[in-house]
Amino acid sequence: MQVTFKVTRYDRATGEKPRVQSYALDLPEGATILDGMMRIREEQDPTLAFRAACLRGVCGECTMRVNKSGKLACVTRVASIAKNNEVTVEPIRYIPVIKDLVFDMEAFLWRKIKAVEPWLKPNGGASDREHVLREEELAEVRKAMSCYMCGLCDEGCTVIAVDGGFLGPAALTKAYRFVFDPRDHARVERLRHLSEPKGMWDCTHCFEANGHCPRGINPTDRIFDLRDESIRRGVKSGAANQQVARHYDSFVASVKKSGWLDEGRLAIESEGWTNVAGLLELLPTAVKALQRGKLPMPYLHRSRPGAEQIRRIIERAEGKPS
Amino acid sequence: MPELIADVLVVGGGAAGMRAAIEARKQGAEVVLLSKVHPLRSHTITAHAGINGAPAGGAWQAHALDTVRAGDWLNDQDAVEVLCQEAPRAIIELDHMGALFNRDGQGHLDRRRLGGQSAPLACYVNDMTGHYILHVLYEQILKSAAKCCDEWFVTALLVDSGACRGVIALELLTGKLHALGARAVVLATGGGVRAYEPSTGSLGTTGDGVALAYRADVPLMDMEQVQFHPLGLGRNGGLASEATLGEGAHLFNKEGQRFAQAVAPGMAELAPRDLLVRAALAELEAGRGVDGALLLDARHLGKDRVMTRLPQTREVVKAFTGKDLAADPVPVRPIAHRLMGGIHTDLNGATPLPGLYAAGSCASTGAHGATRLGGNTLAEAVVFGRRAGTAAAAYAKTVAAPRGSDALLKDEERRIALALSKGKGGESDVRLREELGRLMMEKAGISRDAAGLQEAVRGVAALQGRYAQAGPRGPGGAFDGGLVAFLELGYTLEVAWAIAAAALARAESRGAHWRRDHPERNDAEWLRHTLVVRGAEGPRVEFRPVTVRQWRPERRAY
Ligand SMILES: Cc1cc2nc3c(=O)[nH]c(=O)nc-3n(C[C@H](O)[C@H](O)[C@H](O)COP(=O)(O)OP(=O)(O)OC[C@H]3O[C@@H](n4cnc5c(N)ncnc54)[C@H](O)[C@@H]3O)c2cc1C
Ligand code: SF4
Repeated sequence: MQVTFKVTRYDRATGEKPRVQSYALDLPEGATILDGMMRIREEQDPTLAFRAACLRGVCGECTMRVNKSGKLACVTRVASIAKNNEVTVEPIRYIPVIKDLVFDMEAFLWRKIKAVEPWLKPNGGASDREHVLREEELAEVRKAMSCYMCGLCDEGCTVIAVDGGFLGPAALTKAYRFVFDPRDHARVERLRHLSEPKGMWDCTHCFEANGHCPRGINPTDRIFDLRDESIRRGVKSGAANQQVARHYDSFVASVKKSGWLDEGRLAIESEGWTNVAGLLELLPTAVKALQRGKLPMPYLHRSRPGAEQIRRIIERAEGKPS
Repeated sequence: MPELIADVLVVGGGAAGMRAAIEARKQGAEVVLLSKVHPLRSHTITAHAGINGAPAGGAWQAHALDTVRAGDWLNDQDAVEVLCQEAPRAIIELDHMGALFNRDGQGHLDRRRLGGQSAPLACYVNDMTGHYILHVLYEQILKSAAKCCDEWFVTALLVDSGACRGVIALELLTGKLHALGARAVVLATGGGVRAYEPSTGSLGTTGDGVALAYRADVPLMDMEQVQFHPLGLGRNGGLASEATLGEGAHLFNKEGQRFAQAVAPGMAELAPRDLLVRAALAELEAGRGVDGALLLDARHLGKDRVMTRLPQTREVVKAFTGKDLAADPVPVRPIAHRLMGGIHTDLNGATPLPGLYAAGSCASTGAHGATRLGGNTLAEAVVFGRRAGTAAAAYAKTVAAPRGSDALLKDEERRIALALSKGKGGESDVRLREELGRLMMEKAGISRDAAGLQEAVRGVAALQGRYAQAGPRGPGGAFDGGLVAFLELGYTLEVAWAIAAAALARAESRGAHWRRDHPERNDAEWLRHTLVVRGAEGPRVEFRPVTVRQWRPERRAY
């Protein structure tokens, strides 16, 4: 099969702008993208850098963006993806590149995995015996833990695209594995931690992660499950940050009262009524909003129709046993 | 001056290395875990079927007898006893670390039966057992705060005044060589099956640690014993897990016969791998294959069972053959899988070189004999990994920090610079690797004889010679994968030579080592291990008695 690989080259050491280099290859039927990359390195360009390990699509090491979609190179057949006998190979998005297809996984993913304290905090159990557990308790946790740490869900995440600090679907899937592991005692503590800014509440439910995951883990759904669990457990955000706590409290109080968000009140209450310095900082924003007609005057916040029903829903949720 | 970086330096981030590191940390040692790929990308991730250990209340002796019988009595039975006595506890430990083993109806650990097992021994997590074990161990590494050097490649051991005192390693991120001092070193670098082509090895299963120890004059044991797996999927090491057979799938020839029933009436497809592989080869040679393959049939298990118990195997089968394990018969053929032999160690992972320990697939404690029982490799990794970690930490307390000069580092720098300088015009190491893989497959493969093995020995020696004149094509520096592959080939050549030499020496058939010219097992002469020692002109084969305890040699029949 005649095919041209168009590979994005970059070297952090020189810092020069990324460029695309073309390599014409003659590959056997059934060859994978990784076979092609190996062939280039062996026969045409020994400076091409990329990673690979298991060679069978189970370790997550050879993640690349092939024809604009995140793939595991070792199980992606060239014939199945080439268009007009061409493939483009680029690093996955939003990741600092070290060299060509080698990127900084520490910055992209590992540090986020480490941030969820990814080890079991055991709730006891005789150490000379296995835990007696029902299959049903384990099935979903097992599914979540089948994650390859390939990073493709983070690559597809629309929040990470604008905020690299977001914990992201992969790390949250790792967190899920502990929150729902019946042997872990730190469920609430973990949920509190995940409720901090840049945590699970930053997800915008675009469902991209589900579509990108090669394992069918549905990371977006895992995030929902974590959120549901934290509501069920009465875990509020902002344990480590008063401002965040006030923000969320005000949010809920406002919706509970009027059925919708009172943004003026939210801004002020998030800063805190007695926080003079913080309130002063709001002023320029308020002035700008006023100038652009975004701040109605007089400022009135009326209840919306159905507010009573909304209040009951919230109270029902708040009343759930923790 | 090598910088002291650890009390215990563990080379290898697979199951064995991480288990050793966790234990050494528990003993209070400063630990560095160094690996050429991120630990989660280690070959252990590919293990599917299970990890063996007798159930609570079950007798470990049954596991031991299965192990000895599969090993065709070449096992050292003291090592078998340790493995089988400690495996149940090691599995429970993994459960407490958070592994997600499948449960039976009562909520206890379920076990499945793999090849050569008279009763179910293997705890498992669907068909991704290695994945879960590796991830759980890595969680414990993060918890233990052991220091990790990911993507560092060891090129030599630092041996000084008769003891191992660290390693020379290439930092892949920068392309720089470093001398790293340690009071004790544990090699857990995995197997070397990429001496064969094709094989089920990951890219880096190139025998590095085995060769490093060998170059430091540590003997290698039982190198002739190479296991082939019946369920290869062709190119790039694709494999349908033995879990398929454990779940009840069958193997058919062209005529629709379950040929395994003829070689092992009592076990059929659950016979040990060497028997199954030889039966498969016989079918293929007699023309009873379908396009050079046999057919793995899991259809009668039903789609549900395939989807829940064998989901990853289904994915792998799809990726490699385009077939659906739940709906189609899958063409399979024997493929080189793993070495039983490796660095000779005692029951605590200690090698004859003070300060050097080894565990897991790179080591040979004698537990496996002439065929490794499916599910015993993971058990070995955690049982002997723990032991090596304990022993290395204890040893580290008794020795002073390494001293020594830069001489070794300078030597290595020169060696690599020289190779790089030869790369441009010289022969391609990629071709050399392909030739090696073919040679080993043809002359030192499933079926062997003296003439072929002599060719293998000569052939590998010649390849060594050509290798010495070749070099990597790349410039060196950061992430030069070609340089790493070139250095790995150097290791693989040592391993291949040792395999061929030991196979030529063993003039009998035992377990995986099948000599057409000596088709019988011969206990009178050959109930002993081969030890391959490095000599000036290549490997020298010595021998060592087998430790026999309660299981006297019998005829092996299933
Ligand atoms: C398809 C398949 C299925 C399998 N199924 C099973 C099963 O069901 N049950 C079972 O018991 N076994 C099974 N095995 C075997 C088992 O997976 C491995 O043999 C075992 O996990 C090896 O563990 P290890 O820790 O010794 O080495 P590995 O996991 O191979 O780890 C080696 C480590 O050493 C590092 N390393 C190597 N060389 C260097 C160097 N020069 N410098 C620095 N670091 C280095 C690597 O980066 C890696 O981290 C299977 C194998 C395969 C291929
Ligand atoms: S959840 Fe899926 S996409 Fe995300 S890292 Fe894990 S395997 Fe990859």
